[in-house]
This record gives sequence, structure tokens and C-alpha cells, in this order.
Amino acid sequence: MYAYVATLLCDRAAAEDVTALAFERAFRRRRTFDRRRGEERAWLFGIARNAALDELRRRKRVAALMTDPEDASAAVDEAGPDVALRRTAVREALAKLPAREREVIALKFHAGLRNAELARVLGISESAAGTLIHRTMQKLRKACNESL
Amino acid sequence: MNPFDDNETISLEVIDATLAGEAVQPEYAELAELTLILAGQRPIPQEDFTTALDEQVARRFARPSSRTPRPVRWRWLFTPGAALGALAAVVAVIVVAGGIAGSDKSSSSAKLGPSASGSRAAASAPAVAQSSASASAPAQRQSPTAVAAPAPAPTATGRQIVQSAQLSLSTKPTNVDGVAQQVFDVIAAQNGVVRSSQVTAANNANGYAQFQLSVPSSNLGQTMAALSQLHGANVVSRTDSTRDITQQVGGVGMRLADARALHRALVRKLASATTTAEIDGLNGQIGAVEARIARLQTSLRSLHRQVNLSDISLTINAAMVPGHPVSSGGGFTLGKAAHDAGRVLVVAAGVALVALAVLVPLGIVIALALWIAHAVRQRRREQALDLV
Repeated sequence: MYAYVATLLCDRAAAEDVTALAFERAFRRRRTFDRRRGEERAWLFGIARNAALDELRRRKRVAALMTDPEDASAAVDEAGPDVALRRTAVREALAKLPAREREVIALKFHAGLRNAELARVLGISESAAGTLIHRTMQKLRKACNESL
Repeated sequence: MNPFDDNETISLEVIDATLAGEAVQPEYAELAELTLILAGQRPIPQEDFTTALDEQVARRFARPSSRTPRPVRWRWLFTPGAALGALAAVVAVIVVAGGIAGSDKSSSSAKLGPSASGSRAAASAPAVAQSSASASAPAQRQSPTAVAAPAPAPTATGRQIVQSAQLSLSTKPTNVDGVAQQVFDVIAAQNGVVRSSQVTAANNANGYAQFQLSVPSSNLGQTMAALSQLHGANVVSRTDSTRDITQQVGGVGMRLADARALHRALVRKLASATTTAEIDGLNGQIGAVEARIARLQTSLRSLHRQVNLSDISLTINAAMVPGHPVSSGGGFTLGKAAHDAGRVLVVAAGVALVALAVLVPLGIVIALALWIAHAVRQRRREQALDLV
């Protein structure tokens, strides 16, 4: 959940606060959870998403894409310069994506949600979620190839 | 049916397989690599934050021990919805209770107890032009002195009072004829007149008799007392009415005096008339005045008759006639209990119906407002994404 919120907000400190807040809200609303309407993870991420969007509304701004220089350098050491270069390209392409598409990436690849869960969080159908993932990946691939 | 095209399907399968750690075909290596890079860029929270959050979550979401008291189930009583429901129920009770009180009030005017009728009997004050007093009593437990008492007579110190009375009796189905005959006897003894009568004798609950009676007003009290004590009959209800027509009588008397004075003046004028035209004109005027005098005298006689004679409307019903039930006494019976239970159920159903009529529209409005508020809030949240 932290990874999803951090990707959405591009702010580690705010992500920690929002993650904690999401769990607080989930605790308060735990009686409203209905298993027939979806799994616990989708319900929890729905709460986290609302908390993150509230934070975005409150700030009306977002920090620059979160970067982690230490991880990047470590990646260079481990996988070589080509892979590091490609990772940088992906990171930059991800930063340029609209927030809605970046949110899809965060839910799919950072939070590890299945397509059905992702659709439930975003309030769309599973097929629409699949299409969204496919198009976002195409856009990322294109952006990466252009930068390389 | 697969909602995706081939490319989408393959792409999603490759992504899922890669995330699951499975191998993919070489032609999809680029997509798999991108998937792995994206998964590898997953932000990792600080360890102290993770630890603190885990502890907090474990503490707050921990299952309550068996010794922990269960959450109070009646907390919903304090929710706004419950408050609105309670308010609606109170309104319903007030509305239904008001309706019941209103209906009881309307019937009580016709069925007051003897003591209440006594208190209403002071209808003779000159300022009061019209009044009535009613009395009813259980048919078989009737105290003779209570109902057989003379009608509350106005203190007619120079006032012209019209009195009338209504009396409803009940008797056994086989006794309607006998009671009707007693009515004739009483009226004859009181120098009264039976203006109309209708007696339907039947050996069942359809037996019925109706009388329109006139008695001298001075005998009204005695007549009512006698009628209330007829052998084999019980008083169901009794109403005594008075109407002050002093002003009306005075007005007619004054107009009559004026007409007579005018008549005398015209006669004197006729005596001194000399021309034929003058005589004819005066004769015409005198004729008109005489006709007017005749009308006024008739009116005055009618008013005097109303004052001197009192009308009595009397009905005799065989027992068990619908609408004129004969009470079986004041004791507790299963029938009365069933009746009371039915009454309680009717009131309860009325309360529930009124409460429902209040709550349903209110609930719809509240639900609609909540839905709109939720939709607006969610829309604003989604707009936050567009600002990024």
C-alpha cells in the first residue's frame, strides 16, 4: 500500500502519513466491509486511494517524482550500465505519465493487485482495467524506446 | 467471450507471468523486462515506519479477547436516522391520538353522562339564545333518578323560550308494541299530541318505533320523566334543547303594533275622504295593511305555539339494533377484551402507517442527498488526479 501511495503522491513522507491514515480509516470502518462486494485488499486499497486523493486535493500540488539515487547506483553496480540506463529511462517515462496512468502502474506493479482487484479499486470493469494496463504499458515502452 | 484483442490478452498474460516469476517467450522479452523494471522500482518504506505501522495495525485490528465486552448493539439508537425515526413515531402518535380524541369528542356531545348533562343544564341565562343538554346511560343499569329527572327547564322570567327534547329508548324485541302504547298513554295524560308515529313490531332486533310528540311546555319535564321510566324500556340517550326567541317575538309584536296603528290612521283618513279616487286609494292601502296584519298575527301565533308546546322526538329500538347497542353491563368480558385488543391493534396500525408515511419520503430524500454528496465528493477526488 505504501508503494502505491508513494508512487501516486511522489512524496515518501506524505505516503507514510497517508498509509497510516488509510489503516486508521479502515479500522474505523471495518464494520462496513462486505466480503460479497470484494476482497479485503481491494477494500483497503480503495480507502488508501481516497486518502491519497484527499491529500492531493489538500496540497493541490505534487512533489517531483520520487527518486532514490542510492538504489539507482546500486542497480548500476549489480546489473551493469545498460540495465541502469534502461531503468532510468523507465523511471523518467513513468514520471511523465499522467497521474491516472501512473496510478494504474502503481496498483499493478507496486501494489501487486490482480486485474479484478485493480478494477474494484478504480471503480471500473475488469476488462477496462486490462485495457488501461495494456495501453499504459504501450505508452511506457514507446517513451523508453524514444529516450534510448 | 474474451473482451480483449489478441495483443491485449497476450500482453496481460506476459505481465502476469513475469510478475509470477514464470518464463515467457523470447519475443516478449522486452515487455517482461519492462515489467520487471517497473516492479523493481517499487518504493520501499523506511523500516522504522513499517515496524511502527505493523505494530499499530496489529494492535488495532487484533481480535478482541473473550473477556473484552462485546460492542454495544444499541448504539444505533443514537444515530441521526434513529433520531428521525423516533421523531416520526412521536408525530404519528400525536396525529393518531389527536384523531382518536377528536372522534371521541364528537361522540361525547351526544353521549354525556347524567352529571355532565346536569352541568350543562343552566341554559336559561338571557344572553344564551340556544342551548342543549344530552344524557345517556347504560340501558340496564340506569339509575331511574338520574335519567327520569325533569328536563332542565329555563327560568323564563319574561323570556320566550322554545324547548325541545330527543329521547332514545331500547327495549326487548317483543316489547316494542307495549312500550309504544305506554308512550301514547303518557302523552294523553300530559295533554300532549302525537303528531306522527311509526311502529314496526318484529320479534327480532329490527323492531323499531318513532314518535314526533308535542306537549305543553309546562308539562315537558314531567313528560320526559314519565317517558324515561316506561316499563320495560331503558334510556339510551336523551337530549334537551332550548332556544330563546324573545327578540324574535318582540320584533313581530312591534311590527304588528305598527301595522295596526297604520290601519287605524288609514281608517280615520278614509272617514274624512271626499273624492272617489282618494277613497279607492285608501281602500287599497287598508287592504294591504290588513293582509300584513294577518301575516304578522300568524307568525306571532306560530311563535307562541312554539313557546307553549314543546316538541319531543322519541325513538324506541329493539335491543341489538346496530348503532344502538344495549350495554351488557360494566363487568369484564371476553368480548370486551377482544374489542379493546382490536382497538389497540387499530391504533398501533395507524401509528405505524403514519410513521411509515413520514419515514419513507424522509428516507428517500436522505438517501438521495447522501448519494449526491458521495458522488460529488468522489468526483472532486478524481479531479485531484487531473491536477497532477
